[in-house]
Amino acid sequence: MTTPLLTSWGQYLPPLLSGLVQSVWLAVAAIVIGLPLAFLFCTMVMSENRLIGALGLVIVEIGRGMPALVILYLVYYGLPRFGISLANVAAAIIALAWNYSCYCSEIIRGGIQSVPRGQIEAGNALGLDSRVTFLRVIVPQGLRSAIPGLLGQSILVFQDTSLAYTIAVPELMKQAYSLGGENYQYLRVFVLTGLVYAAVTLPATWITVWMERRLGKSY
Amino acid sequence: MTAEQKPASDYMLELGAITKSYGGNTILHGVSLRVARGEVCSIIGPSGAGKSTLLRCINLIEQPDSGNMLMDGDFFELSQRLSKSDLMALRRKCGMVFQSFNLFPHMTVLQNITFPQRHVLGKDEDSARESALALLDRVGLKNKADSHPGQLSGGQQQRVAIARALALEPQLMLFDEPTSALDPELAHEVLEVMRELAESGMTMVVVTHAMNFARTVGSHLVVMADGAIIEEGVPEEIMSNPSKERTRQFLSVVEH
Repeated sequence: MTTPLLTSWGQYLPPLLSGLVQSVWLAVAAIVIGLPLAFLFCTMVMSENRLIGALGLVIVEIGRGMPALVILYLVYYGLPRFGISLANVAAAIIALAWNYSCYCSEIIRGGIQSVPRGQIEAGNALGLDSRVTFLRVIVPQGLRSAIPGLLGQSILVFQDTSLAYTIAVPELMKQAYSLGGENYQYLRVFVLTGLVYAAVTLPATWITVWMERRLGKSY
Repeated sequence: MTAEQKPASDYMLELGAITKSYGGNTILHGVSLRVARGEVCSIIGPSGAGKSTLLRCINLIEQPDSGNMLMDGDFFELSQRLSKSDLMALRRKCGMVFQSFNLFPHMTVLQNITFPQRHVLGKDEDSARESALALLDRVGLKNKADSHPGQLSGGQQQRVAIARALALEPQLMLFDEPTSALDPELAHEVLEVMRELAESGMTMVVVTHAMNFARTVGSHLVVMADGAIIEEGVPEEIMSNPSKERTRQFLSVVEH
């Protein structure tokens, strides 16, 4: 009576892959929106203006302090209270982008602060404008050491897209849930689902490790 | 800064009563020093004497608490922060070489030298490149123009750092223990470059532990201890016959 494993996996795969496309798209959108935000937040946190610095810190700490799922619910169920109703996909992207950007902001800040102080002193001693020193000397070096961390965070945001199933976005997790509900083969469905996630995250992790090694060498 | 014509001072640099403290610790107790044009002034002394701090106060990498300075005829009152344009004017006059080189690791050797020229002097790429290559030739590293600093030895990096500072055509060169991070052989090649620079007439202030350099190249020796100058004069005289016990003590330790 039971279908062989591979046969049922063959049946599950097409809907799961269409879910995967949706998941990847959520992650890409969150990253494309989140990275510029991360730079903005980082600039705010590092600002010499204390008001801007405090505001940046509040944004970043709230974004990092709450689980992504709570942020997602606040955006999807909370914002309509203020007259802002968002489609589920939009809500998922915004919540993930915010969460992602806050973590990335701190990764970028850490990278920038890891640049030796002597680099700023050299810029000053040469008579370079402090903006030029920051943008052309400090930031390029800081970003370089931030890249592995940013890639790792990008893998995490892809995994976090699974949270969007809770607000009925038809991504990979949602498809898996539906398939499981249809035939009660939850174990088979979720093992395959896990493999599909891993098929994206593992190669991405390998790329990160490779990048890290490459960047670890001198210029 | 006074904008009148340069007074015909024989001095490139005159420091008046520079003080600096961190927290509760006084690092410099009102140091005054005059450095003549074309002179090589070596500053020696035990660590913690305030040598590096004094040097860093000259180009305001470190802000002194009080004091004043006359640099190449321009007067600067140091008890408050200088305006940005005064600060830039001051830094245009002096180049600095650090113990840890502080080259920009993400740029090639050539870019390290052209980049400041373009931003500080407003030179175009071609003329910046031309003078960078001439300077690299002068320090014996023309063939390393396209390398990154990380691919060079410490001695080579320091010579690039010297070329980078010279590219901005300073009147005065400050050296903060330029060979302390180098083994003797590499130190020697850097000291040779500095010797040639001194022979070309550059005014130099050098914080150093290289006693032989201070003796043979230096024309003015300053001994510092505990945030003050305890003795200064002709290097050979001080080294062979120090007048202060503290100097004698220090020299007896470093001589061998």
